[in-house]
Amino acid sequence: MLGKGGKRKFDEHEDGLEGKVVSPTDGPSKVSYTLQRQTIFNISLMKLYNHRPLTEPSLQKTVLINNMLRRIQEELKQEGSLRPMFVAASQPADPLSDNFREAQPAFSHLASAPLLPADLVSTMPLESCLTPASLLEDDTFCTSPAVQHDDGAAKPPPPALQAVKDSFSSALDEIEELCPAPTSAEAVAAEPAASDPKAQPSEPDVHNKPEGLPEGRTAEPKLMDPLPGNFEITASTGFLTDLTLDDILFADIDTSMYDFDPCTSATGAASKMAPVSADELLKTLAPYSSQPVTPNQPFKMDLTELDHIMEVLVGS
Amino acid sequence: FLGAGGGNDIQWCFSQVKGAVDDDVAEADIISTVEFNHSGELLATGDKGGRVVIFQQEQENKTQSHSRGEYNVYSTFQSHEPEFDYLKSLEIEEKINKIRWLPQKNAAQFLLSTNDKTIKLWKISERDKRPEGYNLKEEDGRYRDPTTVTTLRVSSSQSLKADFSSSSPSPWLWEKLPLHILNFFFDYETYLSADDLRINLWHLEITDRSFNIVDIKPANMEELTEVITAAEFHPHHCNVFVYSSSKGTIRLCDMRASALCDRHSKLFEEPEDPSNRSFFSEIISSISDVKFSHSGRYMMTRDYLSVKIWDLNMENRPVETYQVHEYLRSKLCSLYENDCIFDKFECCWNGSDRQVEFLIVMTGSYNNFFRMFDRNTKRDITLEASRENNKPRTVLKPRKVCASGKRKKDEISVDSLDFNKKILHTAWHPKENIIAVATTNNLYIFQDKMN
Repeated sequence: MLGKGGKRKFDEHEDGLEGKVVSPTDGPSKVSYTLQRQTIFNISLMKLYNHRPLTEPSLQKTVLINNMLRRIQEELKQEGSLRPMFVAASQPADPLSDNFREAQPAFSHLASAPLLPADLVSTMPLESCLTPASLLEDDTFCTSPAVQHDDGAAKPPPPALQAVKDSFSSALDEIEELCPAPTSAEAVAAEPAASDPKAQPSEPDVHNKPEGLPEGRTAEPKLMDPLPGNFEITASTGFLTDLTLDDILFADIDTSMYDFDPCTSATGAASKMAPVSADELLKTLAPYSSQPVTPNQPFKMDLTELDHIMEVLVGS
Repeated sequence: FLGAGGGNDIQWCFSQVKGAVDDDVAEADIISTVEFNHSGELLATGDKGGRVVIFQQEQENKTQSHSRGEYNVYSTFQSHEPEFDYLKSLEIEEKINKIRWLPQKNAAQFLLSTNDKTIKLWKISERDKRPEGYNLKEEDGRYRDPTTVTTLRVSSSQSLKADFSSSSPSPWLWEKLPLHILNFFFDYETYLSADDLRINLWHLEITDRSFNIVDIKPANMEELTEVITAAEFHPHHCNVFVYSSSKGTIRLCDMRASALCDRHSKLFEEPEDPSNRSFFSEIISSISDVKFSHSGRYMMTRDYLSVKIWDLNMENRPVETYQVHEYLRSKLCSLYENDCIFDKFECCWNGSDRQVEFLIVMTGSYNNFFRMFDRNTKRDITLEASRENNKPRTVLKPRKVCASGKRKKDEISVDSLDFNKKILHTAWHPKENIIAVATTNNLYIFQDKMN
C-alpha cells in the first residue's frame, strides 16, 4: 500500500529525477520511453475517435494527431515483429505515483478524473506500467529515453546532451537488445482523458475501442460513421490497416469475457467498459514485477486484491 | 527587466478592464480577436458569440494630462450569426476569427470581420449627434459629474457593406475550410484570406469570387501532413506575402513570379535541435502567428513555446529566439492530452510611430500572463492581466514562474498555473505605448506610466 512511508522513501528520488537526462543505454529508460510512446499513441487515438464535435474539428489538429500516430506506427514497424516491451527492471513504481499526485494540481481540470492508476498502484506492487500521462511528464519527454532512476542521487548530473544519435533509433536498438522475445501482453498506461469530460475517463476505454477493430475490420468504418466528414482523412490514412492493432496492443488477450459493441458511438457506456478493463489490466500486469522480466511468468493475484480492484473500477 | 525603471524602459500601468466580472465565463463572451485601427483611436474586439465591440479613445483631457484618453464603447453589433450546414450536419460557428481595419474614409470607418465561412465588410458611421442617456453615465451606471462631461459621445451605426464568399461550387469536403486568417494588401483594396489549405486573394469591389494564389491540398488527402497556419502581406512590397505551416516553416512568395504561388521564393526553417527532440516536436513547432516588423526587414513567428525573429535575408535560422514559457517543455504530454498544446498564441510588435523602432515584442501565455521581450536590451518581463492588484496608474508588478527547485516568495510554481486562463490575443497601439490584452472574456488596457 502506498502510504507515507513510500512517499518518504522516494522523495529523494524525485529530487534527483528532475532535469536528468538518461543515456540511451540505460535499461529502465526503455520502459519509460515505450510507455510514453504507448500513452501518446492511445491519447492520440482517443482524440480522434472520442471526439464528437458539433462543429468541424480543426483540420490542423487532425493532421498533427495523425502525424503523431504515423510516426509511432513507423517506429513500431521498424521494430518489426517485436512488440513494445515494458521492462520494469529495477524501476521502482512509487515515485511514479508520487509524481502523479504532485502533477495533479497543475491541471486542475484533470483533478476530477478518478485516480485510477494511482489506486491500482496502491493496491498492487506491480504497477509501473500504469503511468498516467502527467506522470510521464516528469520523465522529460524532451530527452528520450527518459528518467533514470538512480538510487537516491542527491544532485542531478548536468544534462549530458551529447547524444547526437537519434534518440528514437537508439532506444529501439536497446529494446531489441533487451527483449528479443515478445511478451504475452502489452500494458497501456493512459491517463484518463479528462480533457473531454464526456469522454470515457478511464484508460480501459482506449483498450477497448481499438480492440474492437481486430474482431472485425468491418467495425472500423462503423467508428467513422458518427464523425464529421473531416475524419475521412483518418479513415483512409491507412495507419490502422498496415499494422493490425493486435500486433501493437492486444496480442493474446482473452476476449471471451468481453461483451461490448465495437463502439459505434463516440461515448460508450462507462459501465460496459469497467469489467473489461479490469480483466485486461490484470492480464497486462502479469509480466510486471520488480524483477527482470521473464516472459510468460505466471500471473498470481489474490482474489481479495482482485475484488478490491473491481470495486475501484466499477465504483468510478 | 522592463519596468525596473530608468532609461527608456516602459513602465506598464493598469488602465482599464472591460467585460464581465463573473468567474463563470459565458461562452459567447470569449474574446477571439483584438485589433487597433490605424490611428489607434479605435479598438475592436470580436467574440465567440459573433459580436464586434468597438471602443473609442477619448480625446485627451487637457486638465488630466497624466493619462491618455480612456477607451469607451463606441459601437456594438452582431457581425455573424450561427449557421447550420445541413449537408455536413455541422454548425458553422459565428465566432469572429479576425478583424481588420481599413483606413478611414471620410467620416466612416470600415472593417472586415470573418468567421469560419464568411468575410463581411462593415461600415461604421456616426449618426446625427444627439445626447443619449448613457452620455451622462459612466460605464458602470453611475452618473457622471456633469462638469466633467466635455464631449458628447454619439452612438454609431454600422451597416453591412459586403458579404464575401466564393461562390464556386465544389464537391470537395474541404472546400469551405474555416477562414482563420485575414490580412490586408498594401493598397487596402485587396486582401488575402487563408484556410488550412489555400490562400485566396480578394478585391474589395468583388464579392462573389476570389483568386487562389496558394493551394497545398494534395491530390490524395491521405498524404496531407501539413497545413497553413498564418499568412501576412509584406508591409511595403505589395506583391510579397508569407505563410506559415504546422511544421514550423515559413514560405515567402512573390505574386509576380506566378499567378499560383505554389513555389516559394524563400523557405524559412530552423533545423531541429536534437537534444530537444520529443514526440511533440512537430506540434510545438507549429507556427500560430506571423507578423512582419514595420520596416519589413524582419518577421516574427510564434510557436508553442517561443517567439522567433527572422531576418528575411536569412532562411536557415532565426536571428533571435525568445522563450515564452520554457518550463512547459516537461509538461507537453499533459498539454497534449488536454489540448492546450494546440492553443494558438498571437504575437505583436510595438507601435510603429517612431524613428527608431523600439523593437519590443509581446505575446501571451497561461495564467493570464503575458510576456514582452526587448530586442535591444535583451530583457524580458512577465506581467499579469488580473483585476486584483491592479490599480490605475500603479506600475504592474512583474511576475515570475518557478520552474523547479525552491519557490521564492511571489513566484508561482508551474503546477499552480491555470491553463484555462490563456492570453491568446494581444494588440499594441500603433503610435503610443498602450496595449490591449484579452483574457478569456475580459479586455485589459495597459498604458505606459507617463512621467
